[in-house]
Amino acid sequence: MRSWLKMLKELTIRPKGERQIRKSPSYSFDEDLNKPISGQTVKEILASSSDVVFREFFLQGKERIPCMLVAVDGLADKNLLDQFILKPLMVDLAGHPELAQVTLANVVDKTLQSLPGLEIKKISKMGEAINAILSGDAVIFFGDSTEAIDIGARGWANSGVNEPVSESVVKGPHEGFTETLRINTSLLRRKIKHPSLRLISLKLGNLTNTDLVVAYIDKIASPDIVSEVLRRLGKIKMDGMLGSGYIEEMIEDNPYSPFPQISYTERPDILAGKLLEGKVGIMIDGTPIILVVPAVLTQFLNVNEDYYERAMTAILFRFVRYVGAMVAVLAPSVYIAVTTFHQEIIPTDLLMSISAGRQGVPFPALLEALIMMTVLEILQEAGLRLPKPIGQTIGIVGALIIGDAAVKAGLVSPLMVIIIGLTAVASYAIPYYDLSLAVRLLRFPFMILAGTLGFFGVSVGLYMVAIHLLNLRSFGVPYLSPIVPLRIRAMLQDTFVRAPWWALKRRPQLIDVEEPRSGGKREGEGEGKGKGKGKGKGKG
Amino acid sequence: MERISTHQFMILGAAVLMGTTFFPVAAMVTGVGGRDGWMSILPGYAAGIPYGLMVLSLVERYPHKNLLQISETLFGKWIGKIIGILYILITGYFGGLLLGQIGDVFQSSIMPITPISLFYLGGLLLIFYLVSSGIEVFARFSEAIFPIIVIALVLNAGLAIPRIEQGELLPILSEGFKPLFWGGVKVLPFAMEYILFLAGILTFLPTSKQELGQLKTGVWRAVFLVGILDTMVALIQILVFGPTETIRLVYGLLVLGKMVELSRTVSGVESIFLGVWLGAGVIKSGAFFFTSTWGLETVFGLKGLKWNLALGVVFMGIALGFTRSINLVMEISLVDNYLILPFTSVWILTLWGVSRWKKGAGVQ
Repeated sequence: MRSWLKMLKELTIRPKGERQIRKSPSYSFDEDLNKPISGQTVKEILASSSDVVFREFFLQGKERIPCMLVAVDGLADKNLLDQFILKPLMVDLAGHPELAQVTLANVVDKTLQSLPGLEIKKISKMGEAINAILSGDAVIFFGDSTEAIDIGARGWANSGVNEPVSESVVKGPHEGFTETLRINTSLLRRKIKHPSLRLISLKLGNLTNTDLVVAYIDKIASPDIVSEVLRRLGKIKMDGMLGSGYIEEMIEDNPYSPFPQISYTERPDILAGKLLEGKVGIMIDGTPIILVVPAVLTQFLNVNEDYYERAMTAILFRFVRYVGAMVAVLAPSVYIAVTTFHQEIIPTDLLMSISAGRQGVPFPALLEALIMMTVLEILQEAGLRLPKPIGQTIGIVGALIIGDAAVKAGLVSPLMVIIIGLTAVASYAIPYYDLSLAVRLLRFPFMILAGTLGFFGVSVGLYMVAIHLLNLRSFGVPYLSPIVPLRIRAMLQDTFVRAPWWALKRRPQLIDVEEPRSGGKREGEGEGKGKGKGKGKGKG
Repeated sequence: MERISTHQFMILGAAVLMGTTFFPVAAMVTGVGGRDGWMSILPGYAAGIPYGLMVLSLVERYPHKNLLQISETLFGKWIGKIIGILYILITGYFGGLLLGQIGDVFQSSIMPITPISLFYLGGLLLIFYLVSSGIEVFARFSEAIFPIIVIALVLNAGLAIPRIEQGELLPILSEGFKPLFWGGVKVLPFAMEYILFLAGILTFLPTSKQELGQLKTGVWRAVFLVGILDTMVALIQILVFGPTETIRLVYGLLVLGKMVELSRTVSGVESIFLGVWLGAGVIKSGAFFFTSTWGLETVFGLKGLKWNLALGVVFMGIALGFTRSINLVMEISLVDNYLILPFTSVWILTLWGVSRWKKGAGVQ
């Protein structure tokens, strides 16, 4: 038993910040990467990849130099290579007096001077050449020269800038991030045209070599949080980095919590807004989902449209979302507790009606709710994975036909169907999918607690969740901030309510920020009273 | 080393001071002070303020030390150890009794058939989770729950206003001032419970001169806030039930919750209030769990999960020993009056006096 526990501990408990996925014993050419460039070796390494193109030709200078252009078909722009690289080298420059002096020793410099193009540079390491080719660039090797030319020729098919399905808005921009990192950084740059926007490039994944960009605004983002993000990203060691979910689990503070500790967005305007609040974005090549840290619980219940609507309507919708979240977590468990243990709460007329509805139902309320909730989960999961038209059909069949049939058969009471329906609808009011998943998960223990210990059980469950949330931090920021620790200004400005833009004079107090928000001032308003005073005090 | 802010100290102090005192306070003060008993609550609490200030003044001289460590420094190792053992025994026993109160309240009011040990287990689970999360999370928990407790108390009292009979308070001061004095003496142990907690939490407090001033203000604020709230609870019970019935009811506030009715629709909401009272009970019992662990660590060097578990078992055992409401309330009252009050008042006064004397004499 003791050894089994020890083994379990070894498997599950990892030192903080040192999260590593076990690397597969894959073949490695790491030792080749630091060697000087050799076209022949590159060919040997990449020859077995059918998508890699090797175009060999000669450059006629003082001596005849064999050249080889290597690129990945589908990643590099063929037109660009044909028109602006191969044609000048093979046709236009042939017989040019400048080229007549070319020897193997100076071919790289001479070619660099002759070729048109913005992103052309000299490289001398094997690793640089391989990475450049596999990232979509083209590389020209010259005979036995230990230098080569890297041509930025990336141009692959992408899905284009469309509105994200999961974050659509009525009033607001209708553009979303794509799977291409460079397009995403340009979308962000279009929103924040200021030199203080910092985009730090990284690479992750030993085999995938995935490009990453850490985005933040200098002087607004806390340097501590930026360096912590870079530190945690730097600690990641894994073979493949195929999406945001990989990184999320590797850098979050508490991997065993059901609550999301890193928020995400597919919208440039949301990312820009978050960066302006002092947060840090992590953009990953190959996914339109951008991670944003640090994250606090309340922000998962606020949506971007709150900032495009009038303050009063935004407050109403936020209130609706908070109520929806509470209903989604507690409605079934409160129903179970009330009908099983605390009937005195129910007004007499309603009690009679509930009692009549439950007549003939063979199961206790707990079992009835568990069965219905499980059916709901199955329906949700089935609807999600099926094509859209079929998914809708499943929903209608499940909700109307099965529910109605179950009531008629006397398997469940009509009120239970209403409660489950209400719970399902309420859970859709939670804007972030990750949080709604956590809510779905928590519903079951709450129901069991309510079915066994009534309101005492529900209270114990709520306090357990509260203590868990109080324990959580996202990059050092308490997860329940600004409720606890209490930040009154943040609470009144942009938490449960959203103050009008002219009243949002300072940045959120959740994190240390170094500059006041200068936008929250009406034209012609004096500098004195309403001016942001700089350093936010919100210490984690 | 964990630290809590001055604001957290104030809220945590108020939450611990309040605890579940709103259950017995009305019956206690009315028992000795009659219909004027409610007037003695605030002075009774206020009498604890000098003790709080004395404890905080020791932080200035002995920063980052709790009162047990300061006792060892001032009185010598063995006297310090004896004080420490008494501290552990008293706080451990009292914490166990408070855990028992959680179960007692739930079983006697809304769930009489459910085994009481399940309530103990639920409460202990929460306490254990809080203690293992550390004092910082405990302070944040209080920060989150205390406002809800205050709102629930005000709501409970406010919803009972339609049942008030003003004549129950009259004639005012018909027995003179003497019963008020005894009422105050009955309330003073509540303040001493807070002082015992304060004795242990000192190591987690900030020590700069400015912050010490804020801590002292925090003591004042906590005492007055809780004093006013408990006065309100006692007053409303006397006004609704009358003095005789108030003395007879062990958990008068629960009965008050049962009487709430709004337009014949909302009624029987005491089970919802009980969810909040559970939080109050967990904070109070948790505070004494903390004090016991600090005591064990200071006196015997025992700390860690193993010893916390052992302490949890002791708490459970003590709670199971007193399952009937009247026995439990009497035991709590006895511990308050004959252990906590004399022990704390003598200990703090002596410690502060010796510290002052040594400072005056230039002795370290």
